[in-house]
Amino acid sequence: MTTRIADRRPPALLIALNGFLVVWLVIAAFPFLWTFWGSFKVEGDFFSKADWMNAITGPLTTAETGSSFTATGYVGAWVQEEFWRAALNSAIVVVSVVCISLTFGTLGGYALARSSYRYAFWLLLVALVFRAMPPVTLVSGYLLPFFEWNLWGHLPTAIIVLVAINQPFTLWMLTSFFRNIPKDLDESAMVDGCSRFQAFRYVIIPVMWPGVITTGLFSFLLAYNDFAVTAMLLSKENQTMIPKIASFLGTTQTKGNVMFAVSSVVSVTAPLFVLVMFFQRQIVSGLTAGAVKG
Amino acid sequence: MANIELRNLSKRWGSFTGVQTLDLTISDGEFLVLLGPSGCGKTTTMRMIAGLEDATDGDILIGGRRVNDLEPKDRDIAMVFQSYGLYPTMSVYENIRFPLKVRRIPEAEHHDRVMRAAETVELTEFLQRKPAALSGGQRQRVALARAIVRKPKVFLMDEPLSNLDAKLRVSTRAQIKNLHHELKTTTIYVTHDQIEAMTLADRVVVMRRGEVQQVGTPLEIYDRPANTFVASFIGSPAMNLIEGVVTAGIFEAPHVRIPGLQAPDGPVTLGFRAEDAALADGGEITAPIYSMELLGDSSMATVQVGGTLVAIKAPKAFAGSIGQPIAAHVPARICHLFDARSGARLSA
Repeated sequence: MTTRIADRRPPALLIALNGFLVVWLVIAAFPFLWTFWGSFKVEGDFFSKADWMNAITGPLTTAETGSSFTATGYVGAWVQEEFWRAALNSAIVVVSVVCISLTFGTLGGYALARSSYRYAFWLLLVALVFRAMPPVTLVSGYLLPFFEWNLWGHLPTAIIVLVAINQPFTLWMLTSFFRNIPKDLDESAMVDGCSRFQAFRYVIIPVMWPGVITTGLFSFLLAYNDFAVTAMLLSKENQTMIPKIASFLGTTQTKGNVMFAVSSVVSVTAPLFVLVMFFQRQIVSGLTAGAVKG
Repeated sequence: MANIELRNLSKRWGSFTGVQTLDLTISDGEFLVLLGPSGCGKTTTMRMIAGLEDATDGDILIGGRRVNDLEPKDRDIAMVFQSYGLYPTMSVYENIRFPLKVRRIPEAEHHDRVMRAAETVELTEFLQRKPAALSGGQRQRVALARAIVRKPKVFLMDEPLSNLDAKLRVSTRAQIKNLHHELKTTTIYVTHDQIEAMTLADRVVVMRRGEVQQVGTPLEIYDRPANTFVASFIGSPAMNLIEGVVTAGIFEAPHVRIPGLQAPDGPVTLGFRAEDAALADGGEITAPIYSMELLGDSSMATVQVGGTLVAIKAPKAFAGSIGQPIAAHVPARICHLFDARSGARLSA
């Protein structure tokens, strides 16, 4: 019989440990659960001035709609306010940004990782500086030329700017992944009959998948969550989801529909869960790397 | 099948010289070993032949054709790397097949050739496994199979045994030797292990700091080392080297007096092999035992002479204790003389 160390701990400690985990989990998940629950209520309940418990029990929701849950927030946002259009725009932007970033990132990262010249180091250092800048600093500089050249407001413009902001990071990340792949692999492929590009394509990339997926996911998140660039560079009809949600919340000039924003927030979060769960194995092995040793 | 010619081959990185004007002809079907300590330029030489490193100066000819400007893939070579360089995402079968696939060899031939290569190195049971699920020795055999599957003009092997444990090294060494006997492909083999060099090579090239020290058959190199570096690198144990002075044909150093040498008067370095000497009363060397090592088939007695340790082979039954004075018979005919300053071999 083997006893695990965990089993030998005193019960009081076990309870404390697990209790802490549960408390932490509830605190961490609470904002999302609260929003998710509240998104099926009416504004009067979710933002009740009388009693915060109304957001949970929902007396006004029952009074207004006849049932304790209502989908009016979702219908209003997706149908009436055409949130689906923003979702489509987001999809276009995100897919383009991920594809372009990964194409340049893998090619450039591979070249930098295998380069023996010193400029590779400086290039990466400059990339890091650009990565460290807040995106807004770049956008303010872009605004004038984009207006002048009539580029403002279009999706491709936002895509290019997002790629530019994202590329230093993808380069960094992919370069370090490529550096973890032994040079012998390229060399034996080249002796076996590959050109440099074939070695990259047939031998290195298959080994790199976890790294590519992890980097792709981070690019995805950057584009998906971006507010600064998309809010300032896209016209109203080309808006992506995040600026659209912001517009639901309203500004000092306009009155927003807060419940639309709440339901949209839930809609925006859902795909992220699916994505992370779907790719979790690759992400973990990508983040820990070292899985590439032959 | 092809011979290889290296003409004036050099490799420099800035002011550092990796390989210095190397001239070498390797004949068709020869097994040539590049031997030397790490940093001696042996791997660089091989990598230049493979095309993985550009030569700074000089020409490389394979089968009479200058290949300096050809990509590695166009040189018709196969290489076995120290770290195997197997493709981790492919099965053993796909690994061996890879060279055929990228070189567009008709698909109908693939299976037969992969199976034949796998049989040669006894890998047929493991074809569906990934490299990660293989032991070091098996991985090395996959690398070998991948090299032989295509029948290239030249095999290049870069310390292929150094990641294996001692026992496996011996058996894989025998396998490589046998493989070369069967395929008769020109082979260049890089190692820092002189035993591998002695057992495998048709000819050995001993290198040091980018320069060739001696080229010859293993026996030549063992029997007539060109200088003190080669003498101290080859053999196990390496040759004993004693610094002393010759006066009228008599070599003298502390505890040592060897008459009958044919050498001009002056300082020299005298060398002899432990296995050529024997314990005998009234011998040329008389000194107390420094240490005793039992080797199994014999014993090794070490004495201190001047500042250096000198090993002398003794019978297995010889039981000397440390500090006990012994005498060894070192006749002039087993001695090698080297220039005291340059280390170069003197006379015969």
